[in-house]
Amino acid sequence: MSDQGSSGAREASGAVGGRLMLRSVVDGLGERIDPAARPVDLLIDGAAPPRRIDGEPPDGVPVIDGCGLLALPGFTDLYARLREPGPSRRGTLASECRAALAGGFTRVCAAPDTEPAIDSTATVELVLRHAAAAGGARVLPIAALTVGLRGEAMAELATLQGIGCVAAGQGDAPLADTRLLRDAMAYAAGFDIPLIMRAQDARIGIHGCAHDGEVAMRLGLRGIPVSAETIALARLIELVHETGARVHVSRLSSARAVAQVREAKAAGLPISADVGIAHLHFTERDLDGFDARFASAVPFRTEADRDALRGGVADGTIEAICSDHAPLDADALLAPFPQVEPGLATFDRFLPMLLALPEVAGIPLQRAVEAVTRGPAKVLGLPPLPGDVVLVDVGKTVDPGTWWSAGVNLPVLDEGSCTGSVARVMMGGREAVRSHEPGRVE
Amino acid sequence: MSLPHPQLDAEGRLLHFLDLDGLSRETLTGILDTAETLAPVGERRVRTVPLLRGRTVANLFFENSTRTRTAFELAAKRLSADVLNIDLVASSTAKGESLLDTLRVLEALQADMFVVRHSQSGAARFIARHVCPDVAVINGGDGQHAHPTQGLLDVFTIRRHKPDIEQLVVVLIGDIVHSRVARSDLAALSILGAAEIRVVGPRTLVPRDVAALGGRFMPHLDEALVGADVIMGLRLQRERMQGAAVPSSSEFFRHYGLTRERLALARPDAIVMHPGPTNRGVEIAGEVADGPQSVILEQVTAGLAVRMAVMSMVLGNRAGRT
Repeated sequence: MSDQGSSGAREASGAVGGRLMLRSVVDGLGERIDPAARPVDLLIDGAAPPRRIDGEPPDGVPVIDGCGLLALPGFTDLYARLREPGPSRRGTLASECRAALAGGFTRVCAAPDTEPAIDSTATVELVLRHAAAAGGARVLPIAALTVGLRGEAMAELATLQGIGCVAAGQGDAPLADTRLLRDAMAYAAGFDIPLIMRAQDARIGIHGCAHDGEVAMRLGLRGIPVSAETIALARLIELVHETGARVHVSRLSSARAVAQVREAKAAGLPISADVGIAHLHFTERDLDGFDARFASAVPFRTEADRDALRGGVADGTIEAICSDHAPLDADALLAPFPQVEPGLATFDRFLPMLLALPEVAGIPLQRAVEAVTRGPAKVLGLPPLPGDVVLVDVGKTVDPGTWWSAGVNLPVLDEGSCTGSVARVMMGGREAVRSHEPGRVE
Repeated sequence: MSLPHPQLDAEGRLLHFLDLDGLSRETLTGILDTAETLAPVGERRVRTVPLLRGRTVANLFFENSTRTRTAFELAAKRLSADVLNIDLVASSTAKGESLLDTLRVLEALQADMFVVRHSQSGAARFIARHVCPDVAVINGGDGQHAHPTQGLLDVFTIRRHKPDIEQLVVVLIGDIVHSRVARSDLAALSILGAAEIRVVGPRTLVPRDVAALGGRFMPHLDEALVGADVIMGLRLQRERMQGAAVPSSSEFFRHYGLTRERLALARPDAIVMHPGPTNRGVEIAGEVADGPQSVILEQVTAGLAVRMAVMSMVLGNRAGRT
């Protein structure tokens, strides 16, 4: 972790140089993952791909007993709110970077919707400096596409890219001005800046707090129709045609949007997409009874929508699964449902939600893991980080008392079917987190 | 995974009265029967009974209301309760104090019951979940979600005129989307097994999934009125008449206004209802609102008996508690 530089550009190069040996781990670092495979010994190197070794490690290389745990590459998150700068009661870079790392993320794209937004060199530098001091995951800031995310004027995108922003986007803020969007996309394309854009109309559903469906209708909640997403997505796709911008569609919510992305890709457009982990699990039914724990800016929609999102991950239409982490303090939840701050603090429960996907969502494990490792890295053209490894205790039940995030709004998990715990995390070939002494996996 | 409903205890008795979700026909009928026994109190010379003597009812109105607040106040007074009217519209919550902070202060006044009206859907359940266990909460209307005492007083009024609700064709006209009254009416009529609930209005004001509330969408009022036993108008908010949901109030009246000519399409003994306040010439013609088939003022009177019943039953269920 001391390798963490203050420059995002240097971070992205992945230049780190520790080495260690993992004794007796199940090798999940490659493209095929079999949790039942025979444990092996692996040499992890910050600068070279991992390799299997027999016998003793090279001189001076520390040895970690993996106890048969599953070794996975460090996760990369394409969208998380780290809340700094902003009110510290919701979290700080210190708290959220450590929570990310404890959750298996070694690289996190920071949402631009901080207070102030990530739209100036001063803010980017502050984020990178505090992130480096945090001793947690590497932070890759997403620049605000427009000044203050207000949708009125383009931010200094090339300057922000130059000091470490890996992409630009509007967060959850709408952008009504289509001409500005077109200009910003053309401008970003000229500097090869990827855009991480949520598809969200600036008018339809803007005051909504839940999917415009049966549950919202029954509860008298203002709805967010699917067209709020698909109209905005159609606009983005048309502008990709004209500008050639690389657009990553952030946090899809509906079956129709998945179909739009599939079609755009088939047409050869430079479009990619992700989905929040919670949206592969929950639907509008979960917020019935005004359950504020399921208030989300990206609405939980119907079972058919959730199934289409799962299908999109399974067939690769959706390259990545992001955390959509949104830590909140307890007071933010103490209001009638429409006035609750939306969001789920997912970092601390991301792994069990990911590991549940093969069983509950029919997404093969290796595809689920790819969607948090090689998938997101490829979206942003990030280099592999061979020294980043997560040791996972697949069968360990979630300890409800353990969480690292400052947010109290953890996702509500079905206790019986959710297992999986991060035992240790290596970054750059050095041990960075040791959450618990792993139990042996039979 | 969803949260338990806070209004029922383990034996299924009402601890609060928040909405009609999950209430049985027996529970509803029980409230209506109790209301029937309490209705004569209003016709006596001494119009009080001592059911809630020594108890304190606080009307917490976070949203403007004259009719509902007055009805709850009078109902509580007829039960001999002490009544506090607390106007919170212009009060501390407007100064930035949180809803919960306001509640804690009011709990400290040692009220036994809060009657709550709030502009946000779900506010009544939220308050019931967070209030101290000694306080019962009655929903006097939350956002677009529920107005359960209105739903009950409507079926109470219907039952007095047409006791066999299972045989009835009921027509709801107008703004369903934004109406907590419509949701509670649909719930009450569904629980009591009304034969058919027709819902008429422009598609901007009738939810696509209205069948999930027990209603059957019909686009044309004239067709919907044929064979109707009960016709309920709903209030159309002024801001929705000005191009937001319907092009104009006159176009609305032309297609959905209840006129004497249209009323003739319904059964001759059909009754006309409206939760008030009415927009004459928008939802209903004045001559229909004042006509012989109108029971609009009976609804207001019924509101007293129904609210007396709900308040006394909820606090009665809590009598054995600390």
